[in-house]
Amino acid sequence: MELDFLSAGFLSALFAIVLIDLVLAGDNALIIGLVARNLPKQTQGKVIFWGTFGAIAIRALMAILVVYILAVPGFMLAGGLALVWIARKLLTPEPNAGADHLAKAPATTFAGAVRTIVIADAVMGVDNVLAIGGAAHGSVLLIVLGLAISVPIIVWGSQLVIRLVDRFPSVILLGGAVLAWTAYSMIVREPLLAMWFEAHPATRLVVAVLIFSISLAPWYSERLSEHMKPLVVLLPALLIWMLGFEVAASVWKVQVDYLLARDEGEYLLEGLRWIGWLPLAALFLWTRERLILRSVRAVRSTPPS
Amino acid sequence: MRLIDRSPRAANAVRTVSPSGELFVASIVICMILASFGDAVDPAWIGEAGLEFAIFDFGGEFSVLAMRHWHLLQLMLAGGVIAAGIMVLRIVAGAFFRPLEPAAPRDVEKVPINL
Repeated sequence: MELDFLSAGFLSALFAIVLIDLVLAGDNALIIGLVARNLPKQTQGKVIFWGTFGAIAIRALMAILVVYILAVPGFMLAGGLALVWIARKLLTPEPNAGADHLAKAPATTFAGAVRTIVIADAVMGVDNVLAIGGAAHGSVLLIVLGLAISVPIIVWGSQLVIRLVDRFPSVILLGGAVLAWTAYSMIVREPLLAMWFEAHPATRLVVAVLIFSISLAPWYSERLSEHMKPLVVLLPALLIWMLGFEVAASVWKVQVDYLLARDEGEYLLEGLRWIGWLPLAALFLWTRERLILRSVRAVRSTPPS
Repeated sequence: MRLIDRSPRAANAVRTVSPSGELFVASIVICMILASFGDAVDPAWIGEAGLEFAIFDFGGEFSVLAMRHWHLLQLMLAGGVIAAGIMVLRIVAGAFFRPLEPAAPRDVEKVPINL
C-alpha cells in the first residue's frame, strides 16, 4: 500500500511505529552498563558509543529487511500471528519485572563488549522490528523516520519513557491494542488469503474479534469475576470453531450457509456449526471444575508444616 | 529485558491502569472492531435490509461503513471522543442520581422528621 507523505495514513503508521518502538524497546542503557562495568574508564566511553551505534545500525537493517521479507507470500500471516502473541505477552503482568536480562556477565575486551551489546539488542529487537515492519505498510521511509524519532528517545531519554509509562500505564494498553490492530491488518493483507477474504467478507470481523480476544485476554480477564474466567478460553475457541467451518467449506467445497444448503448433509453440517460447540464447551467447563476441586482438595489434605 | 519493565506500574499495566485511561483504550478498541465490522459487511446487504438510514449511514462520513477507511489516528480521536462522552454522561448521571439516594439514618445531612 502506497502512503502519501504526511497524509492521515502516513502519520497514523508513523505514530504506530513510534508507539510500538517505545513499548517494546529493550533496556539498552542497562545492558551497556552491565557489559561495560568492568572495562577501564577510557574504554567505557568508546564501548558506549560503538555499542549504541551498532545497536541502532542492526535495528535499522533488521527493520528494512523485515519489510522485504513480509512481501513474500505467507510471511505476512506468520508475522500477524506472531504479533498477536507479542501483544498478549506485553499485557501479561510481570510480578518479577526487572529480574532477568540478557547480558549477565561483564565483558573483558572492547570487541567483546560491543559484540555483546549488538547481539543483545538484536535478540531483544526481533519482536520490535517485526511489529514496525508490519505497521510500515512496506514503506522504508516510514521505518527510517520511525527509528529516527524513537531510537534517540530510547537511548538518551529512557528515563523519560519510564516516567511516562509509570505515570500513564494506559500507554501499555494502547500499545497492546495497536499491536493487535497491526496484526489484524497484516493477516487480512496476506496475499495468499486476499481472495478468500474477498469471497468471505464476514470472516474479517470474526478474525478481528478473535485477534483482540486473544491479545487483550490478560487485560479483560483481570476484570472478569472468577466464574466468568472461562470466557477467556471459550470466546476465542468459539470464534476459531466458526472460522474453521468457513475454511472447511472452502477446502472441501461444501455449503455451510443454511439458506444455500442443498442436501441433508449440508443441513447437518450447518446444525453442527451452530450447536456442535455446546457439548465441547460443557466438557471444558466440567473438566475445569473437576481440576479446580481436585487442587482445592489437595491443598486441604496437605498437613500444615 | 524491556525498558518498561523498569517500572513496576507499567509492567503490571492491566492492574495499575486508571479507570479513565482504561476507558480511553477500551473506546479505541471498540472503534477498531467497528472499523473491521464496516470492512466485513457488504453495503448492498445493508441497503437490502433497509438499514442504511437507520444505523449505518447516520451522518455520512461518521457511519460504521465509512469507518473501514479510517486510519489509526482517526480511530484514536473517535475513541477519545467516545471516552470523554461516557465520562461526561457518568458525571451528569451521578449528579442527577446522588440526591435521590437516601442519607444514612445517623448522617449529619439527615433531616430529622418527627411525626
